Amino acid sequence: MNLDFSQIVPYIPFMLEGIWVTLKFVFFAILFGFFIGTILALFKIGSIRPLRWFADAYTSIFRGTPLILQLMLIYFAVPQLSGYDITPFLSAILAFGLNSSAYVSEIIRAGIQAVDKGQTEAALALGVPYRQMMTDIILPQAMKNILPALMNEFITLTKESALVSTIGYLDLMRRAQVVGADLYRNFEPLLFVGVLYWLMVMGLTLIGRFVERRLRVSD
Amino acid sequence: MIKVENLTKKFGNNEVLSNISTEIKKGEVVSIIGPSGSGKSTFLRCLNLLEEPTDGKIYINDKDLTDPKTNIMQVREQIGMVFQHFHLFPHLSVLDNLTYAPMKVKKQSKPTAQEKAYDLLEKVGLSDKADAYPNSLSGGQKQRVAIARALAMEPELMLFDEPTSALDPEMVKEVLDVMKDLAHSGMTMAVVTHEMGFAKEVADRVLFLDHGVLVEDGDPVSFFDAPKTERAATFLEKIL
Repeated sequence: MNLDFSQIVPYIPFMLEGIWVTLKFVFFAILFGFFIGTILALFKIGSIRPLRWFADAYTSIFRGTPLILQLMLIYFAVPQLSGYDITPFLSAILAFGLNSSAYVSEIIRAGIQAVDKGQTEAALALGVPYRQMMTDIILPQAMKNILPALMNEFITLTKESALVSTIGYLDLMRRAQVVGADLYRNFEPLLFVGVLYWLMVMGLTLIGRFVERRLRVSD
Repeated sequence: MIKVENLTKKFGNNEVLSNISTEIKKGEVVSIIGPSGSGKSTFLRCLNLLEEPTDGKIYINDKDLTDPKTNIMQVREQIGMVFQHFHLFPHLSVLDNLTYAPMKVKKQSKPTAQEKAYDLLEKVGLSDKADAYPNSLSGGQKQRVAIARALAMEPELMLFDEPTSALDPEMVKEVLDVMKDLAHSGMTMAVVTHEMGFAKEVADRVLFLDHGVLVEDGDPVSFFDAPKTERAATFLEKIL
């Protein structure tokens, strides 16, 4: 056993900065994924068949292939095809957002379909149009079913974000590797960023619990 | 007010309603009774097109509901519906349940809708529950709120789909009392029910359905005292 955390002290600011770098793209990837996922979910429960097929095919492809492959395709293959030199930051948002939206769409679809059919009938019987029924009656109730699973997806995304270290994006994970290479000691920096990831996920969990409690007022 | 001509409804190959024709006049209270599976709920749900008829025509105020050009949402505004399982909006307070559709669909202002809502809550005896959420109410209270919610749209016709079947026995009366008041105020009502007392006492007419066929259509006194058909007689024997 030779553990010496004092050696990583000079590198701590460098590694802490990684929190911000990671959160920055995770935040945009979650937003992007949630937005696309909601649209896909509406396609799936809607009555327009080609849109339903599209959403199902999309989900099948993005859930059926490794995320790291999707990330590499976007980062390495897009420049080859289009000549556009895509940044690691943008590739990461695209890959994680597109991938996450496949999962999010399933979560939202299931959440909407779990709302009692009587709610739809009651709204229809009152003459409420489809769009308003969705936004005012169905989605707010679906949120309660959706939120725990959605939080899970966001946590997974936050942790999986470490994959971007493979395309040279200087996130938390990559910084630990850099420090490890510098010091010829890997255990301390890896353990250190491990704790940082855990703290980030705890933060997300607490936010999720808070929102869930807010949604429960009507029970 | 409502005219039904040769209404037929099939689910796949299963014919649940066969060739039903009848009429409900303005101000009339009609009870629809029959054994379970006789199609009485489906019949009621066809009247506001929650079920789409396979064949036949339904006219409401001379407007053909089955015509694709008819704006069904507009027609539904004039038809209130009360369900067996209430279907109140659980995420909205009682008051918001009552004001939601008038504000969103009829574009009423909030004060107008709320004033009307408080009036209706008083009528159904639940003024003190305006700020409660549906899940804190008893079954009978929920159903009275559901009736008030339908009335808030000021419908010309009210449909009741077994409104007391999901209630504990001691709560049936409070709901029936509200319905009686409504009937006496001149509302046109179609009521699917197992409450023979209500049908006898309040209804102007009774429709008896069996296996999707309209077997009897007549006034309650002669229906209950001297049913014309064997099937109705057997049914009444079983339940009375």
